[in-house]
Amino acid sequence: MTRYTLKGLLAATGLAAAFTGAALADTKVAVIMSDSGSANPFWAAVTKGALDKGAELGIDVAAVAPAGGETDVAGQIAMVEDQIAKGVVGIAIAPADTAALVPVLEQARKRGVHVVFIDKRADMPGTYIGTNNIPAARIGAQHICDSVESGSDVAVLQGIVTSTTGQHRAQGGREGLVECGLNLVAEQPADWDAGKAQTATENILTANPGLRAIFASNDNMALGAIEALRTAKMLDQVMIVGFDGNPNAAESILKGELAASVAQRPAVMGAMGVEAVLKLVAGEELPDEIDTGAELVTKENAESYL
Amino acid sequence: MAVRSTEEAARRRLRTLEKYGVFGMVLLMAVVLTLLQPDIFLSAQNLTNILRQVAMNALLALGLYVVILTAGIDLSVGSIMALSTMLLAMADVAGWPWPLAILVGPAIGVLCGLVNGFGLTVLRLPHPFIMTLGTLYTLRGVTNLVSGGRPVSGVSDTIRFLGSGEIPMPFLGKFGSIPVSAVVLLVCYAGTAYFLNKMSIGRHIFAVGGNPQAARVSGIDVNRILLVVYGMSGFFAGLAGLLMAGRTGAGFPNAGIGAELDAIAAVIIGGASFFGGRGTVLGVFAGVLVMGLLRNGLNLMDVSAFWQQTLIGMIVVGAVFVDVLRRRAGRGP
Amino acid sequence: MSDAAHRGPAAPLLEARGITKRFGAITALDGVHLRLFPGEVLGVVGDNGAGKSTLMKVLSGLHAPTDGEIVFDSRTVVLHSPRDAQNIGIEMVYQDLALAGNLPIHENIYLGREPGRRVLGFTIVDEKLSRKMAMEHLDRLNITVKSVDQSVEELSGGQAQAVAIARATAFEGRVVIMDEPTAALAIKEVGKVLDLIKRLKDHGASVILISHRMDDVFFVCDRVMALFHGRNFEEAPIAETNRNEVIGWIMGTRGHAAGLAHEGA
Ligand SMILES: Nc1ncnc2c1ncn2[C@@H]1O[C@H](COP(=O)(O)OP(=O)(O)OP(=O)(O)O)[C@@H](O)[C@H]1O
Ligand SMILES: [Mg+2]
Repeated sequence: MTRYTLKGLLAATGLAAAFTGAALADTKVAVIMSDSGSANPFWAAVTKGALDKGAELGIDVAAVAPAGGETDVAGQIAMVEDQIAKGVVGIAIAPADTAALVPVLEQARKRGVHVVFIDKRADMPGTYIGTNNIPAARIGAQHICDSVESGSDVAVLQGIVTSTTGQHRAQGGREGLVECGLNLVAEQPADWDAGKAQTATENILTANPGLRAIFASNDNMALGAIEALRTAKMLDQVMIVGFDGNPNAAESILKGELAASVAQRPAVMGAMGVEAVLKLVAGEELPDEIDTGAELVTKENAESYL
Repeated sequence: MAVRSTEEAARRRLRTLEKYGVFGMVLLMAVVLTLLQPDIFLSAQNLTNILRQVAMNALLALGLYVVILTAGIDLSVGSIMALSTMLLAMADVAGWPWPLAILVGPAIGVLCGLVNGFGLTVLRLPHPFIMTLGTLYTLRGVTNLVSGGRPVSGVSDTIRFLGSGEIPMPFLGKFGSIPVSAVVLLVCYAGTAYFLNKMSIGRHIFAVGGNPQAARVSGIDVNRILLVVYGMSGFFAGLAGLLMAGRTGAGFPNAGIGAELDAIAAVIIGGASFFGGRGTVLGVFAGVLVMGLLRNGLNLMDVSAFWQQTLIGMIVVGAVFVDVLRRRAGRGP
Repeated sequence: MSDAAHRGPAAPLLEARGITKRFGAITALDGVHLRLFPGEVLGVVGDNGAGKSTLMKVLSGLHAPTDGEIVFDSRTVVLHSPRDAQNIGIEMVYQDLALAGNLPIHENIYLGREPGRRVLGFTIVDEKLSRKMAMEHLDRLNITVKSVDQSVEELSGGQAQAVAIARATAFEGRVVIMDEPTAALAIKEVGKVLDLIKRLKDHGASVILISHRMDDVFFVCDRVMALFHGRNFEEAPIAETNRNEVIGWIMGTRGHAAGLAHEGA
């Protein structure tokens, strides 16, 4: 049972003011994910964020996912239909397929049920709540700026550069490093892959023996870079910042090898999904995209990412 | 004498349980759901939702039922459905006239089914499990190859009407209507029931499942029967693909992943014997409904989808156990 | 074997000439001859594995012979399937009965040849007619069952045997082959089957009876032939031989007959 009702706290927030008490207690919002929380820590955090927000506002929030996980498109469609039948006011959904969910979500809107997207958007208009990778990568770059002297040599490891995620993270990292006056000596693609990142790092170190920091666009590549540094015995000289906040990255951070990682905020995503639906119900206009923001994982907070 | 008659009675009870148990289960679930969700479950909207949600599984299960009657198995139906959906969507988006485009799904389905039958009869692969496991992978791969692993959206309204359209039924209330897909189901189920029970070729399918040697010595061309049943299974998978394209307005590469297992489960829950030769079309539909109601009910109560899997697994085992008991009793004194 | 071994002037109705059948490395039949005359009951005997069933399966179209030919009604025929054999009037009761246990009695009897009307190449079965025909046919054969709707798996061994015989006789074949039809039966039922064979003969059909029971063979057969290790061994009109001689043939010995004759019936 991932269902939560708490009527006590409803007066507190501004949002709640949009509803009369009785109506609010009956307000149902569905968060429909593409994979379940018990299978995936990311969605577990989304679930928790959504349910906590429901408890805080005193509304009925259901956070559900189809049995077959990300590939269970038919199951997710059925879930949308069943939630509509249940009388939800809105749905925050991470569509299992960008095209196949469109008709049922259009159907939902036709029946007056509001729809917003979390994590991934379907091929249709609507508000998307997710992590904007450009500002998120800047957070990682800023941490490097704060840690090394201005003018130092730094590098960026890119993911797959044909993907939007890869482009955005590389762009945010590059802009952040250059704007604070660091000297960007290399930008190399390593396709999200640890092995490729290791090779790329070796090459960068050979060409730039004075290198002080690397921003890697994901944790896998960051850990690959660390292996290259270990071999070159340069772990003390070069700091590495990764992206994703994966458990093995957190482990490396606690060991003092990886300096930091940038993590998405799935709990915030869940909460924002619920809030966005309620805002639409209250008649507010929402932007096309809402950034959940990102946070830096360092020695101080890495424990909670294990 | 007394022993004999109590055994006889026990056998009769088991046969009754096997025949009508699944209908009792449907009824029980409907009653429980009505009690738990009185306002929602019986609403016209929810009932039409259920009909639409079970349509694909109902078609796949119908095809599998015909295959399982011959003591065979078709693991490839989910992949056939995906390929049919995809090619149909591509043809439609490419501007084929709709009367042609809607034929693409079922035609691809029949073709794939005949490939399965061909592997069994001409290549003499030892068990349908192997041939259809092969096509499960191959056809999924082909689906991804032709689509590049990306969905194809923008399917025309005529096809969408088949999958998600509704025929308004004013007496059912505000949203009351019968989904077009339910009409498709009705025609397929009634047609298959007639085919299996009234036509000699249908009886031959039962005979092949009961004792292939008996069928052979009776002059039945067993290979031809196998081609027919795998072709039918492919046809219904292709038709499910058509409904899927209509329901989602798209062809998408992940269509029907794992759907073969749902279909097999529905057939078994519906009282058909995995050993062939036994079952009814109505039972299969009841099996489909059991799974559909379970999913719908748990969704309405926001129960984790994992419970759905857990319970379906238990129901499958229970259904087969009844079959085992019947066989044991059937062997008699 | 010799031409003197058969009697009557008529040409054989069914003749197997030099039939050889191999299953991989196993040679089940090696150049076997068989002649069956109109209205004759021919007993075929032989030890387990002698090749009796295999020869009959060749004659009923289930197995294609590796070599040799089949002549029916003075014409060479090639039987591609049991259907071909049925079409020219050769019916068979198989040793393992070959019934579909999940189907009712009447469907088993008419399996593959259901009564009904043809529509677009398909047969719509007339179930009522099938039941009625089955009941009448079983009545004619003096076979009683609770109902022709009973499925065959619910029947006793003898009843199932009766259904298999009913199927082989439902279309008034000119040749009826019975592979050990009495093996599973109680004495009373054995009598019924033997009576039935006599009646088939009276109706002009020819019958091949395979049996290990000398009583059966000497009660109904006109002639008896023995196979040994997949080859013809001996054959004789029933009047010109006796049990012990035939038992000797089965074991692969000749000539003991005279000495043991007095022990026979
Ligand atoms: N389908 C088959 N594949 C391989 N070998 C076979 C096959 N059918 C029969 N044989 C072999 O052919 C030989 C003759 O068998 P067949 O069944 O004809 O004997 P039979 O005389 O009928 O014996 P029984 O009295 O036990 O019924 C045996 O050695 C048997 O193992
Ligand atoms: Mg035999």
